[in-house]
Formats: sequence, structure tokens, C-alpha cells
Amino acid sequence: MNDNFTPKITLFHCINTVPEIGGFSLTGQDNFELQTVKLACSSMVKDVFLLRAFEAGSDAVIVLVCPEGQCRYVEGNIRAKKRVAWVRNLLDEIGLGGRRLSLSNISAGNNVAASQIIQNVLKDLEDLGPNPAV
Amino acid sequence: MNMKASSRLQEILSNGEFAVTAECGPPRGANPEVIRKKGELLKGWVDAVNVTDNQTAIVRMSSIAACAHLLQMGLEPVMQMVTRDRNRIALQSDIMGAYSLGIKNILCLSGDHQSFGSQPDALNVFDIDSMNLIRTVQTMREDGKDMSGFELNAPPSMFIGAAANPFADPFEYRVIRLAKKIDAGADFIQTQCIYNMDRFKEWMKMAREEGLTEKVHILGGVTPLKSAGMAKFMNNKVAGMDVPEALIDRMAGVPKEKAVEEGLKICLETIAELREIEGIHGVHIMAIEWEEIVAEIVESAGLTPRP
Amino acid sequence: MIVGEQKPILEIKEIIAPYKKILILGCGTCVKTCFAGGEDEVAVLASALRLACKKDGKEIEIEEFTVERQCEDEFIQESAPAISRNDGVLSLACGAGVQAIARRFAKSPVLPGVNTMFIGVLEKQGVFTEECSGCGNCRLDIFGGICPVTRCAKKLLNGPCGGSQNGKCEVNPETDCAWQMIIERLGILGQMDNLRIYVPPKNWQTSLSGGPRKLVREDHMI
Repeated sequence: MNDNFTPKITLFHCINTVPEIGGFSLTGQDNFELQTVKLACSSMVKDVFLLRAFEAGSDAVIVLVCPEGQCRYVEGNIRAKKRVAWVRNLLDEIGLGGRRLSLSNISAGNNVAASQIIQNVLKDLEDLGPNPAV
Repeated sequence: MNMKASSRLQEILSNGEFAVTAECGPPRGANPEVIRKKGELLKGWVDAVNVTDNQTAIVRMSSIAACAHLLQMGLEPVMQMVTRDRNRIALQSDIMGAYSLGIKNILCLSGDHQSFGSQPDALNVFDIDSMNLIRTVQTMREDGKDMSGFELNAPPSMFIGAAANPFADPFEYRVIRLAKKIDAGADFIQTQCIYNMDRFKEWMKMAREEGLTEKVHILGGVTPLKSAGMAKFMNNKVAGMDVPEALIDRMAGVPKEKAVEEGLKICLETIAELREIEGIHGVHIMAIEWEEIVAEIVESAGLTPRP
Repeated sequence: MIVGEQKPILEIKEIIAPYKKILILGCGTCVKTCFAGGEDEVAVLASALRLACKKDGKEIEIEEFTVERQCEDEFIQESAPAISRNDGVLSLACGAGVQAIARRFAKSPVLPGVNTMFIGVLEKQGVFTEECSGCGNCRLDIFGGICPVTRCAKKLLNGPCGGSQNGKCEVNPETDCAWQMIIERLGILGQMDNLRIYVPPKNWQTSLSGGPRKLVREDHMI
């Protein structure tokens, strides 16, 4: 447990979920850095981007996608899910911890859900500690 | 020297007698006592004994050696030979060696894939298939030449056998395959063990219609069941096996202590039915690791004394 | 195409352990198509290896470069500058490509990052199947276009064996029995009589069994 670090989170999101991440009020914890990456569709999240986010110093990476069956491009969120699962496995294999990477489905405009997800990841990071490869 | 002297099995079948053969597996080790003991149990009850060749791809004493041990005891072996482990050079070499030792019957098979056995990491051979092997032995016997065309100093005049499985797929094609094996040179056929008599009878009918029963001696295979568990296992886990539900139910329907008895009953019923089928010239009893039961089966089936 | 699979990352990490500066060299043809060693895969592997090494406090510099194919000199020579800058090359090409690099750049350690598997096709998105073993004497004309040398586990030319059940191979219940398929195809083609023809033993001299092969086309040599 290490609560002396400022968690850095990279959040990839489909613009159809939440158009803009900003103005979130997170009660309790606001000591963290959030970098957001907007994607036209969550399927744009390639494996290498997720890994490079960790190389750039992120402690956790979140991917927000539309609910299944509601992807504007039909299967984009399914592809994102498969890729995230693959990278999680890779992160486990190299010992970085697949838990640092997560994917969540949220319905359009659900800022409350988005905030909750970030909150949960921050909680996880209390356990996981900072990125060991920084 | 008359190198075309027949094997005992060949004589019995040529004379139109109902032949009885059994099977025994060599030991997993260099001690021949196991083979001798099995031989003792079978002597006098059968006309010939098949000796398996690293069956299920599990490493055992070689078939040729085990056959030689049986010969010494006065039994007539049928050497089984698979193409899985040896190339054409080794196969032809062993055929000549076997005949020189007095082994006069051969059963030509492809062999179970090595992934089933004790050495799944081995490289398999399959240089030639069982059809090619049948033809090779025939050529060696009839032309006195090996596969390269070289004239042998003496031909191995083997009685050639092949396997047939009426229970594998595709069904319609199985009789064409039988015809092909006969053309390649098969003198006798031993079938996979029979539980689905209806399917077997249909296959025999098709074989008769093609005139095949005039050209080859067919011996129907039987294996006595010991339990419902064994019946289920064979149906589900053994490649090319067909055990009808009705039979599994029948085995399950008797108390455990009576299972063996029921299995033997079924076996004897099968043999009795086989004797009635036109074109069937014998029975091949495969009592796997249960050689002691063969005597009882042969006796109860009224097939003693052997000629 | 040649189909291969990238080695497990921990195995690769072991293989490159002795080197401080590594070039990961990708190939844009076969291995790209089967997601083992194309440009994208090079990027992912490089990133993952950096993370893995950094995590262990191991110093490493990884450069990334991809050529069209590693089996032709014309393309591999483009990687010369990158190769000279690094202590070793991790090639993600098939075994032929790895050896071509090693041959051309004899003074650089060349390491394999992919397990080359077979000559095959893309059956459907994400699924690759083995089709040809390069026996050097093709008789697909008599087998209805289905190769028993490659797709029958026992290489039977006069199949099927007694283990064929429900159209599946005894070795793997998910593998189609090649001979079942041949019989069905010959039925469709009206060539069932092929099945009655005895196919003699194969001459394996044209296959790898006769030693590594070479093809020379004098008409293309000046």
C-alpha cells in the first residue's frame, strides 16, 4: 500500500459514450491526474496505444465503450473488448498486472457512471500501487 | 524347398472350416514369461494368435519377437504390423525376418496414431499405408521381389490379413474399401469387434452383393464386455467403435456381480449369429488382457475341439 | 501463406536478455497476415518488452523496423543501417526470413521471435489452417483438391483408416477427417471411381525427407 503517490490515469473513451470528460465532481479523492483520449469509436483503441499509455507513466488505463448492441458501428465495442482482454493478459504475463487496465460499458451521457468508474479505479490503485515500470 | 507351405490358419480356412483366432499383447518389458503364460492359456483353443504391434502406440516388446516366443511353444502366430513406426525399408526387412523364423501370417494395419500412446512426442513414419503394405507382401510372395524389384533369395510366403471396420464412417464407402484391400492382396479379414449386429449384417450383405465373400475369408471380431462402464468407455473413447444403447442398457440392467456373466452371454450370442451369416468364415476373439476367458468362450460356443 | 505464432513474451525476454540494444525487425507479408510479426505486432512487442524490462530494472533500448519481406535481399538490405546500430536483431519473420537476415548480416546475432508453423490459409477471420506440406509432388487432382499428405494425420493415400468417425479424425475430435472430405468431394465431382484405384507408395525424395531442397531457374539467371 502506497498512498504517497499521485495516481495517473489515462482514459480512452468513445465520443458516443460521453462527449467530453470534464467537470466531474469526485467526492473524496481529487488528488490524481487524468489524461483523456477521445475516439470516434472505441474500436480505435489499438493494443499499442494501451501499452504506450503505460510506457508514458500511467498507473491505470480505463477504456469506456458503449453498451453491447448499441455500438454505432455495430461491433466496435466488441473489438475493443477483445483487444483489452488480450492486453490485460499480456500485462499479467509481463508482471505489470492486467488489473491496471479495465473496460466498462456506459450508456450515452452517463457522467455519474463515468465518475463512479474512475473512483473505483482509484480505489484499486490504492492496492496496486504505482506503475512498477516507471 | 517348398516355400509356399501354407500356414495352419490358411489350411483351416481353405478347407472350409470355421476358424477361431485370438489376440494377445506383448509385455511392456523384456521378460517373455508374460507371453508364454498367455500362450499357455490359448494353446489348443484357437487356430492362430494375433500378436499386436505397439498397440495404441504404447511401447511394448516387438510383435516379431513375441511371435517367435509363441512359435517356440507350438502356437501359430499372426504377426500384426503397423506402418506408423517403420518405413518401407524396415517393414520389408521385418517381413523377411519374420518368415525366416517361421511366422507365416501377417495382419497389415496403419496403426493407432502416436498421440494416443506412451510417446506422443515421437515423430511418426507412415511412409506407406496399410493398403501399400498388403500389396507389398503380396508382391514379395507372388513375384519373389521386394519393392525395389530386387529378386529375393527366397520369397516370404505369408498368408495376408487386413482389418476392416464396418463401424467407422463413412459407412457406404466401407465395402469399397474392403474390395480395394482384397484387390491389393488380402487373403483374410478380421473385423473390429461387433456389438451392432444390424450394422454388421448390412455390411456383410453389401459385401456379398459385390462378390467379395467369394474372394476373401472374413472373420468377425468379438470382445466380451465386463461391465456397463466398459461398454460406455468403448463407445465413447475408442476410435471406430459402435456399441448400441440397448446393449449398454442391458449390461447396466444386471447387478454388478452378474455383469461379466451377461457380457459373456452377449459374446456367445454374437458368435452364434456370426456362424449363421453367409460369408463369415471364422471368429476373432479379442479378449484384451483377459486371455483366460478365451477357452471358456470357445468351449461354450461349441467350437471345440480345434482341427 | 506461411503461418506462425509469436513466441510467448517471457520466452522472448529470455532470448534477448544478453543484449542491451535490440532491433525488432518485422515482416510485412505472411507473418503480418497471421498477426505474428507485422509492423503493428513489432510496435506492441517493443512496448511490452520495454515495460517488462523496466519493471525488472533492466536497461534496454529497443528499436523498431519493418520491411516488406525478409526472404528477399532487395528488401532486407533496407534494414542494414538499423541492424548496424544495434547489438542484436529479433526477427519476427518466419524461419526462412530469420535465416536470410542471419546470412546477410553474418556479424549480427539474429534471434527468432516467431514459431513458424505451417503453409496454410485463412479459413475465416482469426482462424488459420494447415493445408500443404510441400511434398514436392502434388496429386491434388486425384484427391478432389484435398491433400491427404497434409490433412490426414497418417498421410494415408488409400484412406480412410478405421478411426474415422462422424467425419472427424481419431486424433482430434475437432479435426475433420481428410478422407471423409475427399470422399464427399469426389462424390460431388462424380469421381467416386478414384476411390477404387490403388495409389502406390509415395516417392518421398521430392520432400524434405530427401534433404533440404533447392530450385534453380536458369532461364531467370543472367
